[in-house]
Amino acid sequence: MFFQTLITGLAVGGIYALMAVGYSLVFSILNFSNFAYASIIMLGSYIGYYCLAKFGLSFPVALVVTMLGAGFLCFLNERIAYSSLRKRKAPSLYFMISAMGTSIFLENMVYATIGSSFMAYPEIFKQKALHIFNSAIGVLDLFAIIFSFVAIFVLHYFISASRTGIAIRAASYDSLICQINGVNLNILIGLVFVLAGILAGISGIFLGMKYMAYPTMGWITNKAYIAAVIGGLGSLPGAVVGGIILGVLESFVSVYISSIIRDVFSFSLLILLLLFLPAGLFGRYLEEKV
Amino acid sequence: MKKKLLILSLILVFALTMTACGSSQPQTIKIGHAVALTGGSSMWGQAEKNALEMEIDKINKAGGVLGKKLELVAYDTKAEQTEAVNITKRLAGDKVVAIIGPGQSGVAIAMTSVTETAGVPFVATTATNPKVTVDDTTNKVRKTAFRTCFIDPFQGTVAAQFALKDLNATKAAVLFDVGSDYSQGLRQYFVEAFTDGGGTIVADEAFRSEELDYRAILGKIKDKKPDVLFIPTMQKEAAMAMKQAKDLGMNVKFLGGDGWASPDLITLGGTATEGAYYVNLASLADPAIQDWIKAYKEKYNMEPVMPNPVMAVDGLLAVVDAIKKANSTEPAKIIEQLGKTKDLPVLSGKLTIDPNTHNPLNKPAVIETIKDGKFAFHARFVTTD
Amino acid sequence: MWYYIQGVMALALINVISVVGLSIFTGFTGLFSLGHAAFIGLGAYTAAICTYFYKINFFVAIILGGLMSGLVSLIIGFPTLRAKLRSDYFAIATLGFGEAVRVILENLNITQGARGLPGIKAYSTFPVVLVIAIIIIFIARNFVFSKYGRMAIAIREDFTAAEMMGINLFRVRLRSLFFSAVCAGIGGGLFAHYICFIQPNMFTSIQSTLLTAAVVAGGMGSLTGPVLAALIFAAIPEILRVANMWRLVAYGFVLVAIMVFRPQGIFGYKELSINTIKGFFKKKDPASDLTKGGAS
Repeated sequence: MFFQTLITGLAVGGIYALMAVGYSLVFSILNFSNFAYASIIMLGSYIGYYCLAKFGLSFPVALVVTMLGAGFLCFLNERIAYSSLRKRKAPSLYFMISAMGTSIFLENMVYATIGSSFMAYPEIFKQKALHIFNSAIGVLDLFAIIFSFVAIFVLHYFISASRTGIAIRAASYDSLICQINGVNLNILIGLVFVLAGILAGISGIFLGMKYMAYPTMGWITNKAYIAAVIGGLGSLPGAVVGGIILGVLESFVSVYISSIIRDVFSFSLLILLLLFLPAGLFGRYLEEKV
Repeated sequence: MKKKLLILSLILVFALTMTACGSSQPQTIKIGHAVALTGGSSMWGQAEKNALEMEIDKINKAGGVLGKKLELVAYDTKAEQTEAVNITKRLAGDKVVAIIGPGQSGVAIAMTSVTETAGVPFVATTATNPKVTVDDTTNKVRKTAFRTCFIDPFQGTVAAQFALKDLNATKAAVLFDVGSDYSQGLRQYFVEAFTDGGGTIVADEAFRSEELDYRAILGKIKDKKPDVLFIPTMQKEAAMAMKQAKDLGMNVKFLGGDGWASPDLITLGGTATEGAYYVNLASLADPAIQDWIKAYKEKYNMEPVMPNPVMAVDGLLAVVDAIKKANSTEPAKIIEQLGKTKDLPVLSGKLTIDPNTHNPLNKPAVIETIKDGKFAFHARFVTTD
Repeated sequence: MWYYIQGVMALALINVISVVGLSIFTGFTGLFSLGHAAFIGLGAYTAAICTYFYKINFFVAIILGGLMSGLVSLIIGFPTLRAKLRSDYFAIATLGFGEAVRVILENLNITQGARGLPGIKAYSTFPVVLVIAIIIIFIARNFVFSKYGRMAIAIREDFTAAEMMGINLFRVRLRSLFFSAVCAGIGGGLFAHYICFIQPNMFTSIQSTLLTAAVVAGGMGSLTGPVLAALIFAAIPEILRVANMWRLVAYGFVLVAIMVFRPQGIFGYKELSINTIKGFFKKKDPASDLTKGGAS
């Protein structure tokens, strides 16, 4: 049972890691939690559903369309809801309310137009269990973990090696100096949101395949916030590690203690970390911008 | 800007008063319908409304009741207790003679406080919790609460006996939703009946409402090697559980309750649902209702999502019969006659209401299974008490 | 029909009580909470258990409900506010708190878990709720115009400057939290005795977000604004039954629009008083605008 729990934890953790990286990307530049990220993931999931189920596209094509679609939506979200607040340096409370408003708007837009029925993804991967070390893992789960890691690795390479990536890293340290050095912060922030959106699209399509597409599926993003804190706010590799650790810990708590208190455990862990170890494992705790 | 807004809000308050006093047509008998038209249960709610409208059309074409035409007044409960209380008050204000619905037990119990005060009877369609009709603190039946479906103790017993006898199970595991009163109740009755019948419950795991990932606890259940996995939840959670159990390579028979009865179960669960069994109130394959199903398909261009529409029509026929027997549309008289309903021919067979509990007597349960990606009738079950 | 209208107005006023409390917390002190429905739930359950099991007087039970919520808010607020969590993580912490309360309500024996508490006596009639709502609004108004209220506003505007001026951030925030929790608890107790049947799944985070939406739409920094917004939010679903689905879409849109175009909401920092009513009818004198000065 120990190994099975571990494998399950890794499968869940893979998705957490993906979401946590997307979330951390925005957090490290703008120093605020994008509460509307959950809705972008949800919309990505619906885009994926329509591509696969209604338009009958093949999986790779659907994946690319979802990634681009979610990226674009995330970018729109920034432009409409956050850019004007950012320009006039509004307090963080306003950002949060705007994010919350966006998320209510998008979620209920889906309810009103598409309806609250649960959209089932067609079975792309065979419903089979692969056996490793006497434990089972679904084919989809294995694929999701591998793909997530590939995506994160590509992102990491982009951020560390390319010029834009360097600009992003610079902006996360000090956006003002970055601008003085000639970086167009507006375009950069837009790009960061597109990247976050791409990751959201991947998360969305895998969540949809694993479970289903439904309007309130974004709730799982709360785990991304916790994973980001575990790994360290503002650190992308930290987000990955945090996601995996959270997934595994939750799995063990579910099995060995009780699955009912699993979420309470995660949130309590969050509060304990913020009280005693706010920088997490790899990060630096950013004080509230004054 | 501010001035306009203040005036706007005052207008809204007046508008509320105005719209609430709606126009009334004295020549129709109003039948209320408390139904979940939006939200997760909307497919059943919509089916109920369609079926009722179809049936009322039929009755009106044949001359109506007591010389008057029937009129359906339906409001959306959203499957929420607060909303249900509001619309029940509105229905009482609209002067309905009876209310059909709701389909959820929690909502029904919330409505009772209003219906008992207003004196308007309601006939629940698929609310299976025993507490809907019988107040468990006083153990007395609620005057205005009726239903046309079986209750959870019966359903749990049917499931348990089916597992013991037909599936030859000696070890059962249960996976239930801790936040749903339906799930908790059904689980309780299944566990009691299964252990009474000689079986052992090897695992009894709970998850929180809205949670869709049970892989961790399924791993725990897998270790205990049960013969049967009983999942007394709604279709969405059950489909996920079955899919994930298959992902883990579990080889068990899946068993469930009437919450599974929706085509969603198969679309969401895919091939994992093949060969699963569940208890239902009415079956699409029932020969007695094939004509009705055909009429429904013709009118609405889709198959009725069972079992709610059948239960709703049963309820309507009971109310119509009570009106005829009482020869009046006074709710108090209708209540009296509803309690005396005996052998009334309804869509699902013959309806007899037990005057002590307001529950239908001798209601059989249907066991359905999933074969080749479709629901298939498996057996009709009557428990051995 | 009066039965129905009375019911809707009673619910609207219960909503107003919780919103007034939250407006002190979010509107005046500037802290974002995603878990206030938990305080409502705690108040509801405490009051219901008091009248249901222990046959305590209704009004005493309501006050006990409010105090229980307040007590729990102190327990939660102490570590989270002391640690000066960033506002967004404070919000996430309140979300977690809401979750924790749900789990407790679902699993304690005395709350009867998911089965809920049916058969609560209907003590919350419209007149009772109206009187209590007026009392709460009066107390809140006094709070806002007192020394504590002004300190809270200072913290919301610029907490670093406020701290430098000698305001104890922690104490003022905790006080606001306590007050808002007590209001929510009282609202919850009244709610329980109106619906007469409570289950844990009636107190969700969606409710919390709707409360915050009412506060923001009404205007942070005003009491009349959120009160009006709460009344409107409660009345709209009943009037516009047809457009039900789009109601929430509109709320979301309004929130974003307010933040982008008019952050002070409908009422801004103004209250409904004799002066403002006079202001409606007086012609705007361009000279007086110049002499006014300051932010509006």
